[in-house]
Amino acid sequence: MSLRFTEPVWDHYFALRCIPGNDENQKITITSRYVQPTDSMDEVTDGFGNHKYVGHYADLHRKFEYEVEGIAQVEGMRIRKEELHPMYRYPSEFTQCGPQIQAYADRMSNLEGTNLERAIQVMHQLYEHFQYKSGVTDIHTTAEEAMRLGQGVCQDYAHIMIAVLRRMGIPARYVNGLMIGEGYTHAWVEIYTGEGWYGLDPTNNLHVDDYYIKIAHGRDYKDCVLDKGRFLGMTEQTQEIYVNVEEMK
Amino acid sequence: MRELIDHTEGINRLLARYGVKFGLYKNGNFHEQLFPFDAIPRVISHEDFLYLEKGLIQRVDALNLFLNDVYGDKKIIKDGVIPEEFVFSSSGYLPECEGMVPPKGIHSHISGIDLVLGKDKEWYILEDNLRIPSGASYPMIAREICRQASPRTFHNHLIVDNRNYAEMLREMMDYVNVGGIPVIMTPGRYNAAYFEHSFLAERTGCELAMCSDLFVEKNFLYYKDYRGEKKKVGVIYRRISDEYLDPMTFLPESLIGVPNIMDVYRSGNVSIVNAPGNGVADDKGIYYFVPRMIRYYLDQEPVLKNAPTYLPFYEEDKKYVLDHLDKLVVKDVAEAGGYGVIFGNELSKEKLSDLKELIERESRRFIAQEVIDFQDLNIMEGEEMVPRKADLRAFVLSGKETKVWASGLTRFSRKADSFVVNSSQGGGFKDTWVLSR
Repeated sequence: MSLRFTEPVWDHYFALRCIPGNDENQKITITSRYVQPTDSMDEVTDGFGNHKYVGHYADLHRKFEYEVEGIAQVEGMRIRKEELHPMYRYPSEFTQCGPQIQAYADRMSNLEGTNLERAIQVMHQLYEHFQYKSGVTDIHTTAEEAMRLGQGVCQDYAHIMIAVLRRMGIPARYVNGLMIGEGYTHAWVEIYTGEGWYGLDPTNNLHVDDYYIKIAHGRDYKDCVLDKGRFLGMTEQTQEIYVNVEEMK
Repeated sequence: MRELIDHTEGINRLLARYGVKFGLYKNGNFHEQLFPFDAIPRVISHEDFLYLEKGLIQRVDALNLFLNDVYGDKKIIKDGVIPEEFVFSSSGYLPECEGMVPPKGIHSHISGIDLVLGKDKEWYILEDNLRIPSGASYPMIAREICRQASPRTFHNHLIVDNRNYAEMLREMMDYVNVGGIPVIMTPGRYNAAYFEHSFLAERTGCELAMCSDLFVEKNFLYYKDYRGEKKKVGVIYRRISDEYLDPMTFLPESLIGVPNIMDVYRSGNVSIVNAPGNGVADDKGIYYFVPRMIRYYLDQEPVLKNAPTYLPFYEEDKKYVLDHLDKLVVKDVAEAGGYGVIFGNELSKEKLSDLKELIERESRRFIAQEVIDFQDLNIMEGEEMVPRKADLRAFVLSGKETKVWASGLTRFSRKADSFVVNSSQGGGFKDTWVLSR
């Protein structure tokens, strides 16, 4: 990731969620890590259990970048066993239940089966009805707004699916991470099966398998923003993100 | 006492000179208004205070246990004593505090508990304020000035000295300090309670820090003094609300917070007074459950009563509320400061039915209470003594022990027939005397 400023900025605080965490489904070995410029940096864990690098740079600068390389051993299509935190049952800021979401959830109300079976059907339906298109929504778009537009990107797919599932009484949470290939970061959904969390990717209509590396989870996008910063200065900024995930044979 | 009343104008003049003011934002403009002082004190007998003390300590202890539980094991929810939606869909619940045990396990260090004395001579709890309850400085400074205006009054009555609040506060702060200096953080002079921030800093000997004086380095919090020297902060009594505390964790547009302070706090490297996330326990919806908390955690019967409250969330209560709306007071659980309070008897037929519909639709959003006929206190209006509605904010400090300050802020409504006493709604205040015998 690199952040460029047209004018120098200073007193720059940052919080980066760019490090995938270890759990029973994935083992992460970081081979190199580069964050520049910094005066100080620490590794902490947030309230959701995500890893975070936090730090500060005081002096004038026009560029801020980080690069992380590592090896992930992933076992997909498996339940992450965990006790359910009740907050994942209730609407959050981006997943409020407006008339559109409500209507969509009502249409799904005749689905039968376990949480997982019903969630898979919701995913299929959403994949059919919602169109992938970038540029029509942005990071502030809520599930309700995206539903009204009928178009959006992975973040919108995930928000809609979470809002609908929670409305149906199925606990769900937002995940961001990486998918095999080159490009950008990705977002998907984890649903609570009764004994743990299981990943579904509504953007691609797929179960989350070995080709996904999870970085962070939360109630919605807002809880797992990959990088946040606060600096002083009058500037325009441009961000570039590059992700490359390759399979090791 | 007469002598004290005769000095009312002079006392108010002095209060104004000391800057005892209340800031208000109206239509986007900042106004400062004086906080009118009435010299006739509220007098609490020794026995009454002992009773209040017992009840308040019990209540605050239970609330602290509840906060520990909500951000920890969640036993009270698993045991079905409080429905989980009242906790986890409350705007006061902060997942960022999940799993967090604050230093010494104390969440609510300073609790402002609002009470009224009913005509039936019973005290009723109106609400708990566990975030940043303000107001202790007003009776502190008023007492000081009153003592100068009429020393005889304080010689002739056996009144417990209330000038120890700063000591109590500092003692509590020292107890939870994790190593470093104590600071009181203010968002600045445009805050409604800036007078209080500066006054308490002066009296406790803490640094009064603007947010820009504080910064995070290597996961510790530091204060930069006027010489540019940095000092590690061990305890911060912050006078800004949770959502503005850390722009990196909460509202990103906040310019008054300290970036990454939440991580310092989560790592146990600074004590925050009061702890972030307390809003989940002083939510008007949770209020209903406080008596249950006391029974659940302490296995005791509550000493102090709640005002009779109904939760439309429960069908039975909803039915009662809809049938008796014209004589109840309805409160929006998300609002504070006297806003979002609706008296059923003041509504037209149309508005009443609108409200009924709203309660049907969003039953989780409201509580309804019987209007308590509370005792009036006399105030001076010119030369005339007139009765007005008044409440009492008691201050409870939780450090090594839980202590109730033997005074409190008595607020009164300046309008006849009004029940709303909040200073943000134009009320005044009185000194609160606790008799020592």
